[in-house]
Amino acid sequence: MSTPRILVVDDDPEMRALLLDELRNEGFEVAEAADGAEAVLAVRGREFDVILMDKNMPGPSGLDLIPGFRRTCPRSRIIMMTAFGDVSSYVEAAEKGAVEYLFKPFRMEEMKAAIRKALGSDVASEGEPRGEPA
Amino acid sequence: MKHLTARLVILLMLALMTITAIYDYFRLVREREQLVEQTREDARVFAETLALAVRWNVRRGRTTEELQELLTEILARPGLIGVGIYDPDGRVVATSVAEGKPASTRDDAIQEALKRKEAASLMLEAGGAQILSHIQPFRWPGGRTAAVEVRQTLEGVERQFGRAIRERLLSRLVVLTFFVLSIAAVTRWSIARPIRALIEGARAVGQGDLAQRIHLARPDEIGQLAEEFNRMAANLEAAHQEIVQQGDERLRLEQELQRAQKLAAVGMLAAEVAHEVGTPLNVISGRAEALERTIPLDHPAHRHLDVILKQTERITGIIRALLDYTRPRRPVLRQEVVLPLLGRVADVLLGRTRAKGVRIQLDLPVVLPPIQGDADQLQQAFLNLLLNALDASPPGGIVRVSAGDEPVLPAEGRVGIMRGKAETPCLAIHIVDSGNGMTAEQLAHVFEPFFSTKGRGQGTGLGLPIVEEIVRAHRGEVEMLSVPGNGTEVIVRLPLAPDRAGDPSGAVPEHAPESRNEGR
Repeated sequence: MSTPRILVVDDDPEMRALLLDELRNEGFEVAEAADGAEAVLAVRGREFDVILMDKNMPGPSGLDLIPGFRRTCPRSRIIMMTAFGDVSSYVEAAEKGAVEYLFKPFRMEEMKAAIRKALGSDVASEGEPRGEPA
Repeated sequence: MKHLTARLVILLMLALMTITAIYDYFRLVREREQLVEQTREDARVFAETLALAVRWNVRRGRTTEELQELLTEILARPGLIGVGIYDPDGRVVATSVAEGKPASTRDDAIQEALKRKEAASLMLEAGGAQILSHIQPFRWPGGRTAAVEVRQTLEGVERQFGRAIRERLLSRLVVLTFFVLSIAAVTRWSIARPIRALIEGARAVGQGDLAQRIHLARPDEIGQLAEEFNRMAANLEAAHQEIVQQGDERLRLEQELQRAQKLAAVGMLAAEVAHEVGTPLNVISGRAEALERTIPLDHPAHRHLDVILKQTERITGIIRALLDYTRPRRPVLRQEVVLPLLGRVADVLLGRTRAKGVRIQLDLPVVLPPIQGDADQLQQAFLNLLLNALDASPPGGIVRVSAGDEPVLPAEGRVGIMRGKAETPCLAIHIVDSGNGMTAEQLAHVFEPFFSTKGRGQGTGLGLPIVEEIVRAHRGEVEMLSVPGNGTEVIVRLPLAPDRAGDPSGAVPEHAPESRNEGR
């Protein structure tokens, strides 16, 4: 089984750095995007198994991006991150097709568990075998 | 009230007295004339008889002494105070005068009577008393004319007349007294008492006792007045109650909306803080966790890391508690009719619309399909939207509220933004202001918390985010359209009540389970 690829989308560089460090440590292949535009470019270039995306970003929000990702890369599982208490966007994200939801601040273990869960979820089994890393 | 009765009685009494006095005066004058006439007639008849008697005696050749004797005897007749016989030359043949009475006579009258050979009757004044004198000519032996004079006092007449006056006065007094007493009683009973009751009732109502009623079971005008008064008092009472109720209702609604608004604003603020703080907290705790894994367990730095992790959790706990406190409650969805909700909100804004000179016009049909909603939250949403519309409209402007599928603003040059997504049939409510509209750039930000186009310190920047939250919780949508320079339109679409929408499962599903919120 090839190394799962994960795209981290967050406008906060420190947060991004933290997540990238943690995920690399876990042995995942990671890429980053600082906003919606970068994220769109990133998914155009290659396919990711998981997109870990913040809800609140300048420009299009994480919620706005979900439908596009569902179309262009239907096999990517999307995990939303947002501030705790943001219940209404949880509902919206779930409706749009996010598989997991993380309320900041979350524990790193929590995040890793969510990614493992997402990787083992139905979307993966439906999908074709993942292509070779570029 | 005593004044009215007294005045009425005095007035009636004066009128009555005047009428009877005039009547009695003429009556008495006539009576007196009759009495005098009768006395005069008596005197005439007596004088004629006396003249015949004297003529007969003279013809028989009685002496003067005998005639004198006759006269003295005659004088005993009541009322006579003097008799006299005069020869054709007017000289006294015999005369007799009652004791203490004046013997005055008028020679000229006797001469005149002798000359004319006609009876004469005249009134003489003597000693302040009136005396009736009757002169009766008769034939003296030898063919010449002599006369007798009979003088009679009018004392009897005066006495009789005085008695008649006294009797009349007495009877009038009795009648008048009776009359006055009856009028006083009648006015007191039928006017003064009911009017007093009316006055007391009116005074009580004037002082605020609107439950006051007057009980006068009378068919007359006063009874009708009392009935009208009662009807008026009942109307006043009902109107007053309605006003009090409306005032209470408005006050309650205003306070409730204010409280909800404050709570929602704090909630928005807390959510914003949570958002902003969430990421840095996550970075701190995440880095601490990473360190914790790399540092050997027996290293003293572990204690520091524990503290860092605990304290970040503590901050999280504080913000979570604040969010829990201010989190908008889930809407309690019931079948609601929009019109009264909007009416109440417009009512609450009455003071503000008057002060600003802007009118809120509800162009809504009386019958609108019921929607599925939470009355309190919808009122709050409409309040925010109407407040925005009022603030955007210039003095003299109109804020129009209508229903319908199509936007009110013309499509040309129109820009818009939409929040939420309705998936069931909806009722669309349009709120259109008469302001200057907004640019696409401004519109893009209107639903962001703390964004405000109003002047500094005027808007909280939370009105529309709260509307969005409420509308989303209702599974509806809110759209904001604007034609720059031509006003702004907000369309709120709310799902119709299930039976109307033909979708019995149209109720809003539960939100995310709360446990999700608790994190780990």
